[in-house]
Amino acid sequence: MKQRQFSIKVIEVEIDNEDEFIEFFDAHAPLFQNHLISIKGDVSEKLKYYLDNMELNYIDNTPLPSGKNLKTINLEEDNTKIDKKELEALQEKLKSQAVDCRIKLQEAQSRINELEKKANRELVVIDEMIRSGQEVDIDGDLLLLNRVNSGGIIKTTGSLIITELVEGGIRCNGAFMMLRVSPKANVVFHGVEVDNSLLQDKLNQIELKDNKIVITPVIKKEKNWVQ
Amino acid sequence: MGTVIAVISGKGGVGKTTTTANLGLGLALNGKKCAIVDFDIGQRNLDMIIGLENRVVYDMVQVMDEECTMSQAIIKSKVNENLHFLAASQTKDKSVLCSQKVEKLVSDLKAEYDFVILDSPAGIESGFEHTIEFADEAIIVVNPEVSSIRDADRAIGILDAKSQKVKQGHDVKKYLIINRINPAMVESGEMLKSDDILDILNIKLLGKIPEDKNIIDASNQGKPVILNEKSPAGQAYMRIAKRLAGQSVPFEDVESTQAGGVFKKLAGIFK
Repeated sequence: MKQRQFSIKVIEVEIDNEDEFIEFFDAHAPLFQNHLISIKGDVSEKLKYYLDNMELNYIDNTPLPSGKNLKTINLEEDNTKIDKKELEALQEKLKSQAVDCRIKLQEAQSRINELEKKANRELVVIDEMIRSGQEVDIDGDLLLLNRVNSGGIIKTTGSLIITELVEGGIRCNGAFMMLRVSPKANVVFHGVEVDNSLLQDKLNQIELKDNKIVITPVIKKEKNWVQ
Repeated sequence: MGTVIAVISGKGGVGKTTTTANLGLGLALNGKKCAIVDFDIGQRNLDMIIGLENRVVYDMVQVMDEECTMSQAIIKSKVNENLHFLAASQTKDKSVLCSQKVEKLVSDLKAEYDFVILDSPAGIESGFEHTIEFADEAIIVVNPEVSSIRDADRAIGILDAKSQKVKQGHDVKKYLIINRINPAMVESGEMLKSDDILDILNIKLLGKIPEDKNIIDASNQGKPVILNEKSPAGQAYMRIAKRLAGQSVPFEDVESTQAGGVFKKLAGIFK
């Protein structure tokens, strides 16, 4: 097997014995990972398969330019003369625009990540009594179908719906909360304590609108007829 | 194989020891072989309440440390031969307990008795955790007041988290006893109703016991109130003991005053 370095990135190989070739590349494959291997003559199916498998770049049966044929590729020269200062200013401008673009791209990417995370977050449903001393800490939305006893605490980063009586604490930082009438609860929504005497109806929605906490009834109180 | 029942409450002074003594004796009177064990190490009381304080020679810590045999430490009750008692150590403290020793003690007792009732210390510290660790069932004693209920709620939470039976994937049966109900106060709305308590704690009701002055005298004399057939609390304890022994006994209304007479009872029917 003959081999010759043609240029920095290209290596020329002439194959006499396929086994020898495979043996060589078995040992040195990582070295040629970023090189182009130019093989003189045809390449057998077996070798093609081997080279593909090793993820090596190769060409076959292509005469490489040599001697007089070797030419450097010249970019066509532009004869129009540009003012040097103007050019520099233009370059500056382009540079700053590139930076701007990059920042905007970064911002967009992080926003996408955030939204993706939110979309992938599943709703947690719990149907267990939260007893005194228990703490439920959830990164996301929570639907709780049982009561929260005095001394228990619920923390969520997302929205929260509790269908039963709450006597413990609630710390919610989500878009909204839905709670029953709960005169003994300690409700903190986005760091602000909610006056629970305002939770009058059977199910109340608490949300943040324009930096104000808005409470709206979802299910109205039932009328109690005299029995 | 018997059943190990831990009597817990969370809060102190709600009647765990009285309940342990009375249920132990009640089960014995119903023909069950029953051992009651005081787990309140350093503050033993159960021996006085069942009137065996002058017969304690060895205690459970000595049994666990193998300084004496189980049969040496067990004390037979004078009142009923089915009732056996194992005292807590008064000189040591709760730190002497460790899981392996407690497990051995409890399983030895379980092999020999129909019922093993463990009287837990108040609070939720290590002594309480060791009591519930190897229990099959738990009786939660509460008084109809908010602090007792919140503490009981916390104790149930710990029971559900730390019991060996739960860790093995089984359920610990939990029963509620509401102690010291004052019917007049419940009727006037000053005391929590048992329905409200059951809503909060969400466990099975085993029985309700009315407030009864006889209990103090009974405790002082070392004769559990269950022996007094005229005492309403004693009757209530007897009903609970029968339920534990497997009989079906209907719940009696201990929450309304009897003074109302026929009309009140009639009104109660139409409620």
